[in-house]
Amino acid sequence: MTNETPVIEIRNLVRRYGRLDAVNGLNLTVRPGRCYGFFGRNGAGKTTTIKCLLNLLRPTSGTARVFGLDPHGDEVPVKSRLAYVPDLVAFYPWMTVRATLEFLASFRAHWNRDIEADLLKRFQLDPAKKTSALSKGQRTQLALIGAICPEPELLLLDEPTSGLDPIVRREFIETVIGAYQSGDPERRTVFVSTHLISEFEGLIDEFTIIEEGRDLLTMEADGARDRFRKIHARFASTPPALDLAGSLRVRQSERELEILADGASERLMAIIAAARPEDVRCEALSLEEIFVESKTLVKAKA
Amino acid sequence: MVLQIDFKTGKPVYLQLVDQIRYAAASGALRQGEVLPSIRPLAEELRVNRNTIAKAYAELESQGVIETIPGKGCFLKENNTPFTKQVRQKLLVKEVDEAVVTAHHLQVDRDAFLALVKERLEFFERKVTAKEGK
Repeated sequence: MTNETPVIEIRNLVRRYGRLDAVNGLNLTVRPGRCYGFFGRNGAGKTTTIKCLLNLLRPTSGTARVFGLDPHGDEVPVKSRLAYVPDLVAFYPWMTVRATLEFLASFRAHWNRDIEADLLKRFQLDPAKKTSALSKGQRTQLALIGAICPEPELLLLDEPTSGLDPIVRREFIETVIGAYQSGDPERRTVFVSTHLISEFEGLIDEFTIIEEGRDLLTMEADGARDRFRKIHARFASTPPALDLAGSLRVRQSERELEILADGASERLMAIIAAARPEDVRCEALSLEEIFVESKTLVKAKA
Repeated sequence: MVLQIDFKTGKPVYLQLVDQIRYAAASGALRQGEVLPSIRPLAEELRVNRNTIAKAYAELESQGVIETIPGKGCFLKENNTPFTKQVRQKLLVKEVDEAVVTAHHLQVDRDAFLALVKERLEFFERKVTAKEGK
């Protein structure tokens, strides 16, 4: 399936605000059916990138393609096939939940009433309530219903769960997996920008870490956890000098060693085991740890 | 059958599911002809990508452990022998080692440890017997 059109294709994207380079040469490709994580610190350029995909901003240079189309030139064909949930959701305050959903549905060629009813029940949202009376969590839930009912091919989520309580966050992710992804899994693509990475860990197939407007690291999630490991070893006394070539970083405190490994964990484990530690453990780095350590990981790669 | 994902092992998530379902089959937690959880609720419950569950089930099917009956779900195949005795023992060594290490740290001595293992074995045997008796 190499000739299928990517759902998102970003090439050398640059977007400046005056003298500030918000996005500065970003590249990434999202294939259909994937759940793609877009991780970065505040100000790394995540939201600017998403705004370029939505034609809310025009790129300074480079290209952003959605379904192979130009979000500016083909705005309607692009937007009719995607839905977007921003981190700050705003609705008309005088409208009820029901009126808001009717309003959103009026822009869509397709609207799944069964999903709408299921999700209203699941989230216990009262259709008669005014949107101004909704909590932040309920507003996000309403936005998610509005995004899933049209059954779009692409769901764009920009920091969707920040500022929500853990139960709402959990329900949000379950809904993305269940109500959205299960509908037609071959043609349901999720692109989620977040720094609450651990919650999305199980959902992410592939990710890009964006740093200062550039893609710092792009990997498959399973491949990344297989490759980046942390080894903890404790010795009976000060550890002997070991040749730990191939490790990305070694930290020593008293009798303990912590080694960051890039693919060479089995060889390093053997070297450590030969030095007779009291205890030795090898763990995969979670996606969140990979994000936190990404500069170290990439520096070693270069 | 309770499935659990541990990202810290570094093992691909779908393979964790494959192994756990094979263990469940070997231990009697899942028995011949019993239905596996369907993909969507399991994905929601574990909060993992739906495609990961589908991949695990496809792998189990290709290994002949389960079969899919359209419209009804995935079932554990009859006469399913997921592992040879040797492979099963090898797989168990890692788990036993972990228990031995934990026992060492908790200062549980050899005899107490062996007694505990025996007690747990009997506990599970009673469970399997009770299920079969139904």
